[in-house]
Amino acid sequence: MNVHDSHRADDRHRALERVMQQHRLRPDSLIEILHAAQRQFGWLDRDVLGLIAARLRLPPSLVYGVASFYHAFRLEPPGRHRCTVCTGTSCHLKGGSRLLQQLEQHFGIACGATAPDGSLTLENVRCLGACGLAPLIVIDDEACPHASFGPVVERLTASLDGEDTSP
Amino acid sequence: MVNLTIDDKQVTAPKNSTIYDAAKINGIKIPILCHDKKLKPFGACRMCLVEVEQMRGRQVPACTTPITEGMIIRTSTPDIIKARKMVLELLLLNHPIDCPVCDKGGDCDLQNLTYEYKVNANRFSDEKFHHEIDYSNPLIERDMNRCVLCGKCARICDEIVSFGALTFISRGIETKIGCEFEGSLNCEFCGSCVSVCPVGSLLARPFKFKARFWALTNQKSVCGYCGTGCNLTLGVKDNKVLTTVYDENQGFHNGQLCCRGRFGYQFINSDKRLNTPLVRKNGSLTEATWDEALELVAARLKGAGSSAAALATPRLTNEELVLFKRLMETAGSANYDHSAGYAHAALTEGFAKSFGAAASPATILDIQKSDLLLVIKTDSYETHPVIGFEINMAVKNKGVKLNILSDKRGKLSKLPDAQTLVHTPGSEIAVINALAKTILDDKLAAGTAAAIPGYADLEKALAGFTPEAVAGQSGLAASAIKRLANDYAKAEKALILFPIGNAYPGHNADLASAVANLALLTGKLGTEGSGVLCMAEKNNSQGAVDMGFYATSGLNAGQIMDGCASGAIKTLFVAGENPVVSYPNRAAISAALDKVEFLVVSDLFMTETAAMADVVLPACSFAEKEGTFTSVDRRVQHIKPAIRNIGQSRTDFEIFGQLIAKLGGQAPATPATVFGEIAASAPGYAGMSYASLGETGAFAPVAVTAAFVVPKTVAVEPAAGKLALVTGSALYHNGTLSQFGEGPMHVCPEGYLELSRTDAAKLQIKENDLLNVASAIGSTKLKARITPRMPEGVLFSPYHFGAAAINQVWSGAPVTWVTVTK
Repeated sequence: MNVHDSHRADDRHRALERVMQQHRLRPDSLIEILHAAQRQFGWLDRDVLGLIAARLRLPPSLVYGVASFYHAFRLEPPGRHRCTVCTGTSCHLKGGSRLLQQLEQHFGIACGATAPDGSLTLENVRCLGACGLAPLIVIDDEACPHASFGPVVERLTASLDGEDTSP
Repeated sequence: MVNLTIDDKQVTAPKNSTIYDAAKINGIKIPILCHDKKLKPFGACRMCLVEVEQMRGRQVPACTTPITEGMIIRTSTPDIIKARKMVLELLLLNHPIDCPVCDKGGDCDLQNLTYEYKVNANRFSDEKFHHEIDYSNPLIERDMNRCVLCGKCARICDEIVSFGALTFISRGIETKIGCEFEGSLNCEFCGSCVSVCPVGSLLARPFKFKARFWALTNQKSVCGYCGTGCNLTLGVKDNKVLTTVYDENQGFHNGQLCCRGRFGYQFINSDKRLNTPLVRKNGSLTEATWDEALELVAARLKGAGSSAAALATPRLTNEELVLFKRLMETAGSANYDHSAGYAHAALTEGFAKSFGAAASPATILDIQKSDLLLVIKTDSYETHPVIGFEINMAVKNKGVKLNILSDKRGKLSKLPDAQTLVHTPGSEIAVINALAKTILDDKLAAGTAAAIPGYADLEKALAGFTPEAVAGQSGLAASAIKRLANDYAKAEKALILFPIGNAYPGHNADLASAVANLALLTGKLGTEGSGVLCMAEKNNSQGAVDMGFYATSGLNAGQIMDGCASGAIKTLFVAGENPVVSYPNRAAISAALDKVEFLVVSDLFMTETAAMADVVLPACSFAEKEGTFTSVDRRVQHIKPAIRNIGQSRTDFEIFGQLIAKLGGQAPATPATVFGEIAASAPGYAGMSYASLGETGAFAPVAVTAAFVVPKTVAVEPAAGKLALVTGSALYHNGTLSQFGEGPMHVCPEGYLELSRTDAAKLQIKENDLLNVASAIGSTKLKARITPRMPEGVLFSPYHFGAAAINQVWSGAPVTWVTVTK
């Protein structure tokens, strides 16, 4: 970790500490604090969960148990790009689930997993509350309404190719 | 009481009962997998479904539904039986049917219910689980493929043990019980989870493939380690104790045990047990007959007078201790003692003066009935883990406030809202005096206090102990001392607990008097939930005190050792003690035992002390004896032999009796006869007999004659550039006996030196580094253990181990100043 990274890590830890203090380190605010930690770090690693457990005086097993219960919490680092396919009722009827299968095949990643090179995470969500746009896909926080396989692949490939991989 | 009808039977049950409890106390059995009477209702398994007429016949779980007046309940209608069958079918869908190789076979709730409900086919089909079995530790096997997700293990670990090693992980069909990051189990290894598991998911590994459950004979006994007095059920087959069996109805602790109680039984049938008497011939110990060995000992004791002395372990029964005393009196000596001579002083001097009785005016049952607990040293959890569980439950379930006064933090400090005041080592008596001073100054003393003898003297003596004055030497804030004094005095019921033992020389008569003063000043004595509980170290420490097995007119243990060194003591009889390891200053003890002309040791094992003896007598463990043990709160409990004597070993009762006969005395025939004598003479034991003790034992009441005693305080002078070493007990061990229990040795095989992160960083020490610890009297090598609980400048080391023993460094002072180098 270079100096720049460690500074950033400190900022993130400070932000997390601030949130924990706002909740007065109450064990029953665990879920809010896990959300805050995930916002800061992108995912929840051992160190962060261990830190939260120690600060809230909770057993580490319980903190891990809660984090593993909710799909909202990531226990593995996400890819640099993220493709979220809605598989709620409307999107499913409009072919969202089929689309997801096709994407899984095309990129060789199972739903919920990340490509081995860390470039892309493929995941599904039960409903985004925008059924009028079905089937809906979200790529890197940007919605792609009425999505279909071809354009989505094109869009994703462009994002992946456009990655700045220089050190 | 609430009136209700269960299965057409008119019954009554206490208010706040659940349907399950109401049925149970009225002898109606409702099947269940996820219930344990110690745990909060959970409602996970759905086996206990019953129909309640008022709820339009709806099926409700009996274990979570409270009863109401006039409820009409049916526990086994055809519909319910059908529902229960389906629950079992669904459980068996994923549960492997590997009963022939499962150690739980015969004792398995799921197996028994499947049989009872005749579930011989399954309408569903699904794949079994393929979870990896956790074999990572030597005591607890976790096979999550067999798990029925009742959650009892996770709940007991949280609610009673307060460790939280296990939890539910993931959700839906993927749910399983596990540790953080699905890693391996790394906990206290008390085995509570194993005891409550209704199936074979959690198993005691030392018992794997040892015996079928139905082949065991269950023998009730009392644990032979610490002074809590936990009841045990020993699983015996072919004269071997193979396991401890869980019985939720046993003892005040409802069958709950700690690591050493549950997994430390192996010493009973250990291969290392001594089988024959040994006599030193030409410098080496050689096998001899009992007659030969006893003749030698009797010849030495006959007319020995004050040149003979005796040391006993407080693990002997009351009857044996009485007989040992009689043997010494027959030999003409009053030199007998136990526990290094100082470890019982809190009772025999402190409480004897303050309360007029050498016993605690409180019981373990008061812990959960109190409003505030003041615990001296977090070590109370380590020395008496099952009392620790009581504290956990009091704090977590009953909202009892916990205040801790300690020289380091510990597990108890992690309990919700626990207030831990960490003082400098050795300053506890000054702090307690400052609490008393605050109580006086803030007019918090009870009206009755001034009438107790010694009040004026105490008031005068406490003048210098203002919180401000003590704050400096103790490292505490004056405000914290004042707050604690106010909390303690203002609580309606308050209980003070402190451990004593060989490793706690600072917990002496003065500490006992200091805490007694607090209780007397505020009148927190003699009522339920209030008092002072002195937790003596070994299973019969209180009994040894009650039997008067300590120096009154003769020499105490320290003086006996000096006598050995000077040649004044020529014959020393050591029964079960291992002074070479458990007494401070090993070099001096070894030299004294080397010097003494004739050393007799009766023990289960060839201990470091026995190896120096001229005659070694093989003694019996608690599992082979009849007699009584007295716990820390003076509960007198009767034990019966669970197995026959191992090898040629004899109980100390037989050994002492035969020696008395050889010296021309009259030896009592049975322990029962001696107990009759005890009941006639020992204070509080009046009217007791083996029959009246029954299975639960009986409390010997403590009659208090109160007096204020001014405790002496010795200021601990810091030594420049040195670190303060304090000794104590490790959670997994008790005395030196647990070294022969395989379970504790698997988890904690050797001594260690605990130090703070700051000191570790300063000295550039990493975890597990081998450190050289040196004091004025010697040095030893110990592995480093870096923990956040230690304050800067303070070191902790447990005293149980013969190898790399801390008593090579520890002089017997409450604080030893040492240097640590890599």
